[in-house]
Amino acid sequence: MSGPAARLTSQAVQALLLDTEPWLSCEDCFHLLDQHVEAVLDPDARPDPAFVAHLAGCPACAEEAAALAALIARPPEG
Amino acid sequence: MPIIRSEPAPSLDRIESARHKDIDRDTHTDIAFDWVAGLNATGREREDALRRLHALMVRAAGHQVWRLRGLLADDSPGTIEDIVNLVADDAMTALLGKLDTFEGRSRFTTWAFKFAIYQAGNEVRRRQWQHRQVELRDVATPADPSPGPEHHAEAGDLAVELSRAMHAALTPHQRRIAVALLVDEVPIDVLAERLATTRGALYKTLHDVRSRLRAHLVASGHLDSQGGIA
Repeated sequence: MSGPAARLTSQAVQALLLDTEPWLSCEDCFHLLDQHVEAVLDPDARPDPAFVAHLAGCPACAEEAAALAALIARPPEG
Repeated sequence: MPIIRSEPAPSLDRIESARHKDIDRDTHTDIAFDWVAGLNATGREREDALRRLHALMVRAAGHQVWRLRGLLADDSPGTIEDIVNLVADDAMTALLGKLDTFEGRSRFTTWAFKFAIYQAGNEVRRRQWQHRQVELRDVATPADPSPGPEHHAEAGDLAVELSRAMHAALTPHQRRIAVALLVDEVPIDVLAERLATTRGALYKTLHDVRSRLRAHLVASGHLDSQGGIA
């Protein structure tokens, strides 16, 4: 499981230098996902900085949050 | 095993359209249903709750597999249906194991959906990478000695400084994890499975990598104290 040494792309540079503070683990992100996604859809709610930072740094959790938000935000059809 | 059909399979668009109509019809009754009471009941009341919960899992799994279908080598209706049913079963098992942790801080349906969405993402990405080898590569070592920050603007290459910082501030393990996740873009749950670890452990490694690199580059004058390019 090794290969030629990698060169950093500009996209990788940005991702490596991303500030992901305040800390939130993937486990805590999953634990809080439902309530935070409902809060994100509430225009009066303030997003949790730790949740926002985690989603910026973790594409898998961000995809799950986006999928959950899209699922519960679907307007009923007549 | 191939699925033998007597009639042509419906198009994916028709399946998705029909699925959305089912979702809209069921949403309001599912939100109002007392899920915890039903799932903790016995007899027919529990069976009814389990049946409804499975439908909920199929709905969320279908939603996420549909979103991610572009990652699948085979996104035929039969394969998608197989994945959705597999994911729904796994998600239902995971949810029932955590039922006593539901605290009512969100709607039960939102809480339940996340289990299926999590399982669906993992399964689609696992299939996407099942025939691909994951290489754990190191970062290339820049040939020249590191110039000071006064030369950085002329060089204009933060990637070179960052490569140097990775060799100076990170362990070989941290560099390989960072390269796999952020250069080679191996999905974090796929890498976790290959390395027999967890998504959370890999994310913690990545978080430490980012913190160390930012601190190193601030100390060397290549980033300002706010993390911007100096």
